[in-house]
Amino acid sequence: MPREAEPSLNERQFVAQAIQENLRLDGRELDQYRPLELTFGDQYGVADVTLGKTRVLAKATAEVTVPYADRPLDGIFTIATELSPMTSPAFEVNRPTETEVLLSRLLEKTVRRSGALDTESLCLVAGQKCWSVRVDVHVLSHDGNLIDAACAAVVAALRHFRKPDTSMEGGLLTVYTPAEREPVPLSWLHSPFCVTWSFFGEEGEMAVLDATWIEEQVRVGSCTVSLNKHGEICQIAKLGGTPVEAVALLQCTSVALAKVKEFSDLLDTRLAEDLKRRDKGGFMAELRAENDR
Amino acid sequence: MTATTAPEAALGVLPRSDGSAKYSHAGYTVTASVNGPIEAQRRDEHAYEAHVDVIVRPAAGVGGTRERHLEALLQASLSQLILVKNFPRSLIQIVLQVEDSPENDYVNTKLVQASLNFAIMPALMQTAVLALLSAGVPMRATATATAVAVVHQDGAKRTIVEPSPREIETAESVHALAFTSHGGLLLAESEGDFTVKEWDDLYETAKGICCRSAPAKEGMAMVLDDEESAGTDMRQFLRSTMESKVAADLHWK
Repeated sequence: MPREAEPSLNERQFVAQAIQENLRLDGRELDQYRPLELTFGDQYGVADVTLGKTRVLAKATAEVTVPYADRPLDGIFTIATELSPMTSPAFEVNRPTETEVLLSRLLEKTVRRSGALDTESLCLVAGQKCWSVRVDVHVLSHDGNLIDAACAAVVAALRHFRKPDTSMEGGLLTVYTPAEREPVPLSWLHSPFCVTWSFFGEEGEMAVLDATWIEEQVRVGSCTVSLNKHGEICQIAKLGGTPVEAVALLQCTSVALAKVKEFSDLLDTRLAEDLKRRDKGGFMAELRAENDR
Repeated sequence: MTATTAPEAALGVLPRSDGSAKYSHAGYTVTASVNGPIEAQRRDEHAYEAHVDVIVRPAAGVGGTRERHLEALLQASLSQLILVKNFPRSLIQIVLQVEDSPENDYVNTKLVQASLNFAIMPALMQTAVLALLSAGVPMRATATATAVAVVHQDGAKRTIVEPSPREIETAESVHALAFTSHGGLLLAESEGDFTVKEWDDLYETAKGICCRSAPAKEGMAMVLDDEESAGTDMRQFLRSTMESKVAADLHWK
């Protein structure tokens, strides 16, 4: 497979020097995101996130399986991230690259290990039957900041997703098809989002949000902060790179919180719009099978 | 979801690939990217022609043997269309990402192992051709495809064009046919029980959809067709999509 063309020395110096002068190639502020667009598909659990030229599609699905023997009371929740050659010809099928491994690790830490989805609610019959929820992340186009876009897509897809309704009567489990009963949403506890900072300069003194692909090639380090709108931090990952002052990191985290609040609001409004679009004739409230908390 | 909708397509949707297209028809939505000619790996390199690599990725779950089968079929058909002899020792890579496929509301699907069927073939073929056109890969001809199912209804056999998942389940046979723009048969794949007579009939039906004779061109001042006049005339649809893309690209002139 051909290697991705690296930016030339001139390009590198140009980008680095521009950032030193508080300028970016696309005219954004240093702490400004590209416009985040979020659309849902016709089916439940399909979310398409566009961040400038970066585009990520996530699809959530569920099926009934047998739980793991060591965790009989938990359902199964997996996030599958496989970068296809559609992203770039440098990616090969069935051969994970470093980008892919880091992406899946970060999504795992942010969404799965922060307990955003209550896996115990996916259990149907202890030790015998449970739901297996799977999110497939498809990166259609990569122009930097894959992690933030992918995380937003996964969270949006899971919030939008509905799994088939089930009932338990006398030890007999019934899974209803969408034609019989309206599917029910997942038991969702909080919505974490990733905010990635890129550092530039000799000592990493310039912090930049939402780096494009070329900026990612030039940066001296990066730090991904995952948190929800209540300010609860799920993880902070600073994988190598130039060391950064602790005070600067604290500053980054507080800016990240403001950004996450924006994402949360955007997701809530988009979900509400989508619900309204599906609610033809106002029957949705009657068809709903779940109870209000 | 309504299964019978007019086809829709957009070209050049992905900024970083050489060519790309998004196509949706009959509930299927497929995005394709084409990169090529690019450097081929040693094991894929042919001394005299380009290697056409087709990758089909299902929307959910891991691809299995059915996807590999579809890939093999598409690879064989598209190698016939692309002028592979023009690019020796190189690679033309076509990635087809299924975004949406119609769901059967009456069954709960197993999704970890994706299983595609022939009904998706026309969407894959059409998207691949559109993406190849968008990438400017030289081709002998373009292609149009359709899926036809034969169902047994009230004691009589009936052919359904672009069947829904529910119809496929009850159908006696499902067929995917593709034709080149010269009217030649490019691909014919069938699944199920059928007679030669039935096949001949559905061949005519499919040919009617894929290769309707193109209407006379209205000179330079052509009006760009809108989708509803295209109907299920696939060749006209392909042509009007390309025309509107070219008109948009040459807007500055």
